[in-house]
Amino acid sequence: MATVNIKINGQQIQARAGATLLEAAKEAGIDIPTLCHHPALANIGACRVCLVEVAKQRTLQPACTFPISEGMEVETESPKAVEARKFVLEMLFSERNHYCMYCEMSGDCELQALAYRYGLDHWTYPSPHAKMPVDGTRKYFIMDHNRCILCRRCIRACSDLVANHTLGVRFRGAKTMISADMDVPFGDSTCVSCGTCLQVCPTGALVDRKSAYMGREVHVEHTASACTFCAVGCGTSVVTRAGHVLRVEGDWDAPNQGVLCVAGRFEPLYDRRERITSPMLRKGNGLVPVSWDEALGAIAAKAKGNSGKKAAAYVTGKALNDTLGEFLRVFQGKMQATVGTVEPTLADLDLPVGGSLADVDAADCILVAGGDPLATHRVLGYRVKRALDKGARLLVVTDKPNGMLPLAHRKFGMAQLDEAVKVCQGSAAPVVIYGGDLDKASARKLATLVGKARFIPLFPASNGYRARELGLKNGFSANGLKVLYLLLGDAELPDEAVKEARRAAFLVVHAAYKSAATDVADVVLPAPLWYEQEGSFTALDGRKVAVKPAVAAPEGMLAEAAVLARLAERL
Amino acid sequence: MAKVKVATDWLAACAGCHMSVLDMDERLVQLLDKIELTSTPITDLKHPPKEGVTVGILTGAISNTTNIEVAKQMRERCQILIALGDCAVFGGIVTMRNFFDMNEALKRAYVETESTVDGKIPCSEELGRPVRVCAVNQVVKVDIHIPGCPPSPDAIYYALSELLEGRIPVLTGDNLKYD
Repeated sequence: MATVNIKINGQQIQARAGATLLEAAKEAGIDIPTLCHHPALANIGACRVCLVEVAKQRTLQPACTFPISEGMEVETESPKAVEARKFVLEMLFSERNHYCMYCEMSGDCELQALAYRYGLDHWTYPSPHAKMPVDGTRKYFIMDHNRCILCRRCIRACSDLVANHTLGVRFRGAKTMISADMDVPFGDSTCVSCGTCLQVCPTGALVDRKSAYMGREVHVEHTASACTFCAVGCGTSVVTRAGHVLRVEGDWDAPNQGVLCVAGRFEPLYDRRERITSPMLRKGNGLVPVSWDEALGAIAAKAKGNSGKKAAAYVTGKALNDTLGEFLRVFQGKMQATVGTVEPTLADLDLPVGGSLADVDAADCILVAGGDPLATHRVLGYRVKRALDKGARLLVVTDKPNGMLPLAHRKFGMAQLDEAVKVCQGSAAPVVIYGGDLDKASARKLATLVGKARFIPLFPASNGYRARELGLKNGFSANGLKVLYLLLGDAELPDEAVKEARRAAFLVVHAAYKSAATDVADVVLPAPLWYEQEGSFTALDGRKVAVKPAVAAPEGMLAEAAVLARLAERL
Repeated sequence: MAKVKVATDWLAACAGCHMSVLDMDERLVQLLDKIELTSTPITDLKHPPKEGVTVGILTGAISNTTNIEVAKQMRERCQILIALGDCAVFGGIVTMRNFFDMNEALKRAYVETESTVDGKIPCSEELGRPVRVCAVNQVVKVDIHIPGCPPSPDAIYYALSELLEGRIPVLTGDNLKYD
């Protein structure tokens, strides 16, 4: 590694050549205040808070963008730098409404923290305080332009991380405004509500509706976990207070690089389905709450003498690894029952797995066939869009509407799959993203790319990888069944499947929420929710990701695997 | 030693800052060994004495012509002027009125409020006229700013103690808060 010698605040430092002043200072443990800078985003030197005094430079220089060079001498807290910084802060405060006492971010605001740090006890300039609009047209979060300092973090997150390019600015100078598309309300724009901008906003300009005013950083707890709502396996930080989930944030250090999607960040917190809180047994016409002992006893009584072909058990591919393991041990091992998953596991396609987000980053040609990552595995879809921004080509093979189509360099019908495969063969680092709409014949055509391309399966359930690995297959028939056990977790069965399931003489539904399936069951067992579970699942790239409980499960709730183990004891 | 004379007054304020002064509790009694509160809005004597005081404290924002007069009188009659609280320092929550047209705001306050029957916008010559809301330092020179909504009793005690020691208080840490 080529290094250069520089001096910061009199301290001699050896730093990587090509690094910025900010990076070099950080390496050496010297803190330079920043505001528009964010570690996950490109530096643009917009806010001028990181101005430092560099010897032989005519003016102060922004540390975040200024490259270091041999012999450079820098003062980060010289009177001149501090004076400029305070001036910048005063200008920021006086431009819009930055009154802390009615702001949601007060206490966690980066602008406020800097003002405290530099002892700003008043503003020299009166606030012109023009009334700015508040955009509340999106369901999950609000944009309050009054709090915006135009640092453009949101724009960079939207463009560089999510590759959605919804955000930009309109007008110039003091009239500059963050704007969506061609200046339309955010709710009518191309915004996909992934919330990445919300997560990087340093002030109270972007406000989460659900967690606003619910607690500052000092009041809340963060639990590092993983999103269980698709197979991408995004790292999350679940923010809780007093046993309530306030919001979900993306983990910057996980492969998703802080990015989440609407299905992982917001939607789960708005789930209004009725929770199942106790085991229930059908007595007479209705389901009656009973003890675990009674419920499991009733299941064991039916299961005895009905092993083998007369019994079947199906599990959601969302179940965690230890649940899947215990599920097989009980139903396949002990009962020799027919077992399977309620969602497809793509096992029939017999295509490779193991491709990752990093492979997408490195791809020069991406072939999407039989699925739509932007609909079902959005963070993967965003990553594909990022690769396209960097010059990769996108081939989309589908007979259905697909969110990827408008971005495709070439579009193919399923019948023209051969042609798409041929284009892929001519590229250096192709990636194939395939989903459940493929038939076996098409899969065989795709298989000619094995060895050349990396394959990413769009498993319909988050732990589809592990379910496939365990040989579990989808598709169930209740014909002639005496006992049917459905482990649904928070998944729901389509109506036809519920009808089919009810053909079994005795139906057990193990689920978190009341649904059509639990309504018709003979025994209902409660399951914990995504933020109450502990364990792991295997993401679509084969990574084992840990799921941690952020909130304690309600009293009497048992982990799915524990319920299965208790059942096994009775068989 | 003669006691140091201190006067306080409020402008467009909610009284929270004065509550915070009272929240110094027993420390306020200790301070009274060394200072004399000549006048405050919550004692019998409301106006700073003509012969002047050493320290004047103003809470609240400038929101009408009376506020301007009160601020100017305090400035004339004190040697050191403290702006106490977010409204006095920055304009604070009162500046929300600047978002609206003045007639709109007056109508809302005196006519349209849900509990008002046959409301009328006051228009006596004796009343101050509303002005665009601003911080005290936009009208008179302020020597010491203590922001906070309200400032903590600790911050107020610290500032007065420093002044008694002959030092200009510099707020840091928990004493410097905007909310």
